Amino acid sequence: MAKVRNENTVLLSEEKIERDLLSNINWSNKFKIWFGFLTALLVVCLWFYVLQLRKGLGVTGMNDIVSWGIYISNFVFFIAAALIGMLISSVLGMIGYTWIKPISRIAEIIAVAFAMVAGIVIITDMGRPDRLHHVLLYGRIQSPIIWDISVVMTYLMLSLLLLYIPLIPDISLCKEKLTGLPKFQKKLYKVLSLGWAGNEAQYKTIKRYFKILLILIIPVALAIHTVTSWLFAMTLRTGWDSPIFGPYFVSGAFVAGCAAVLIAMYFIQKNYKLQAYITDMHFDRMAKLLVLVSLVYVYFNINEILVPAYKFKPSEVKHIGNLLYGHDSLLFWLVQGGGLIVPFMLLMIPKMRKPLPAMLISVVILVAAWFKRYVIVVPTQLEPYLPIQNVPESFHSYMPTLPEIAITVGTLVMVLMIISVLTKLFPVVPVWEMKEELLEEQHQ
Amino acid sequence: MKNFVLLLLFVLPLFVAAQDNWQVPTAEQEKLSPYVFDNDMVKDGEVLYENFCISCHGTVTKNNPIVFVPSPGDPASEKFQSQPDGSIFYKISNGRGGMPSFAPTLEEEEIWSLIGYFRNFNREYVQPEFDYGDEVLSELAMVLSYDPNVDKLVVKVTSNGEPKSGIQVGAAVKGLFGKFILGNVGTNEKGLAWFDVDRNMPGDEEGNLTVQVRAQEGYSIKKAEEKMQLVNPTERTNLIAGRHLWSKAIKAPIWLIVVFNLVISCIWGIIIYIIIGLFRLKKVS
Repeated sequence: MAKVRNENTVLLSEEKIERDLLSNINWSNKFKIWFGFLTALLVVCLWFYVLQLRKGLGVTGMNDIVSWGIYISNFVFFIAAALIGMLISSVLGMIGYTWIKPISRIAEIIAVAFAMVAGIVIITDMGRPDRLHHVLLYGRIQSPIIWDISVVMTYLMLSLLLLYIPLIPDISLCKEKLTGLPKFQKKLYKVLSLGWAGNEAQYKTIKRYFKILLILIIPVALAIHTVTSWLFAMTLRTGWDSPIFGPYFVSGAFVAGCAAVLIAMYFIQKNYKLQAYITDMHFDRMAKLLVLVSLVYVYFNINEILVPAYKFKPSEVKHIGNLLYGHDSLLFWLVQGGGLIVPFMLLMIPKMRKPLPAMLISVVILVAAWFKRYVIVVPTQLEPYLPIQNVPESFHSYMPTLPEIAITVGTLVMVLMIISVLTKLFPVVPVWEMKEELLEEQHQ
Repeated sequence: MKNFVLLLLFVLPLFVAAQDNWQVPTAEQEKLSPYVFDNDMVKDGEVLYENFCISCHGTVTKNNPIVFVPSPGDPASEKFQSQPDGSIFYKISNGRGGMPSFAPTLEEEEIWSLIGYFRNFNREYVQPEFDYGDEVLSELAMVLSYDPNVDKLVVKVTSNGEPKSGIQVGAAVKGLFGKFILGNVGTNEKGLAWFDVDRNMPGDEEGNLTVQVRAQEGYSIKKAEEKMQLVNPTERTNLIAGRHLWSKAIKAPIWLIVVFNLVISCIWGIIIYIIIGLFRLKKVS
């Protein structure tokens, strides 16, 4: 590790670090085109949401039998992707891995973006979003849905603070060094820098706060995805009624999150020319981490499928059969084999951990992770304990409709917009931490 | 072979069509039910119908019999209802082709109860009076009591004040959806019949059960229904009384409210502490 770092850091100086890391903060034409494209896409998706608001959830493919469709699958996926902030900054950071420093902010940005939009995803699944406040007014504290809302809000707040606190010195730097910025942006930096002077005591304070948050976010992050899994596991439904759903979801979340970070790292490195900071070493390690979490996830998958499939309880025969060789088997095996096992095996080959192949494999894993949530949420509802009878033929299956798909795409667009804006508004790699590291290395 | 099958295909419908006209001997047609088609009779008939007939004849009035040639038909249909009681009795008893003979399976009274059930769907039907002839129908009377020493229901059958021996008495406990049969025994020389009662049967808060008793001698039937204290009182507990996970919001378990609020307020307390600290960052030096 030291060798790789030295190769890159020998040429670095404080001025170069500042120049390199602040260079992405501008509203380039390339960004404007990208953002314009996202906005146009979002507008189209919003039009479909207006359609859903006016006509109700009838415009979706959901019905009496499958009342949780791709909205809820999408929600679970978003919560999963949001969990990565905790793993990178908190767990690895506190163990003492310093290599995560340049990518910890990327992980936090991803966490914040997904956690923010996760709340919106839930609202899209509501037929009467105007009654959202009823959840607080009439909600039952015994319901996992109330726990979920509380813990999502808490996690979002903690993630925002974890993103924001290490940003304060950099925002102050932006305020001082950057010129030719729009007025609102200057004002934003001024407000957000909170009168940062860069003295020892201030650094000490934010480092202390940061540490408290790093510890606090571990249980909250575990809670957020465990409670999300409880939305399913607290029922008696075949396929959901499982005591290992919590760890199963958490381990799956790390897979999705690592893949998301690898993808973001690749595009940020290429677009913002940060090869000196986000190096091959980072891709290599993140890919190795992805292999590790994938293995854990595979382990939970084996438990989740093999144990009931061995026993073949009467109530589970249909559901497990559907997954293994029935109606949903193609998707199931594509997701498990093509989206999890093959990719992690490829990542065990050193050449595959180079930026481009690692990114491409991560894309496959991330897409499969989305469909994995679909496999968890939807098929089990088609095998209820009471037989499905006296319902229209269309109720015997579930197929998302165009408005439903468009609204889901819209939420993904929102995530991309948030990530894009944040990476254009602030330095993606912590400037002061890079400088600190440089000083330490020079001392040595 | 092929020609034979073709021939069969042409001939069979003719044969079947000829069969459709089911002739019942005149004497049998005139047979009448000695039992009155009252509600109990209709209820019994319904249960029998659902056990023996529904698989071919379908749900009565829905006209959904199984697809056979000739069609089994719906008992509420005009074709069924236009026949005299005796004809239907004869057909159920003897059967023909796909229709099995029920004489070996069902008692005569049971077959009549089926007919009572069918007639229940015909508003214009008036049950013809049965001519009992010389037979004297005895006026039966029953007294029900409970013997706590042996946990038995005691039924005393009398006629004109005299105890009647050798009378078949059936007893059952009335439930919400059916009967729990206690037994079917004959009376002794004192006119008494005993039935075992399990004290653990579920009754009401006072241990009351509704007992239905039926005594029969020839065509003379006497029925009685009585609410009696036969079993241990049932203690009814309200499943939503108290605090439970499955109850309303205001009835949430205390431990849950405490743990939930404690955890949330601790975490948000720290968050607020840090936010306040950040606003004071300027003054830190």
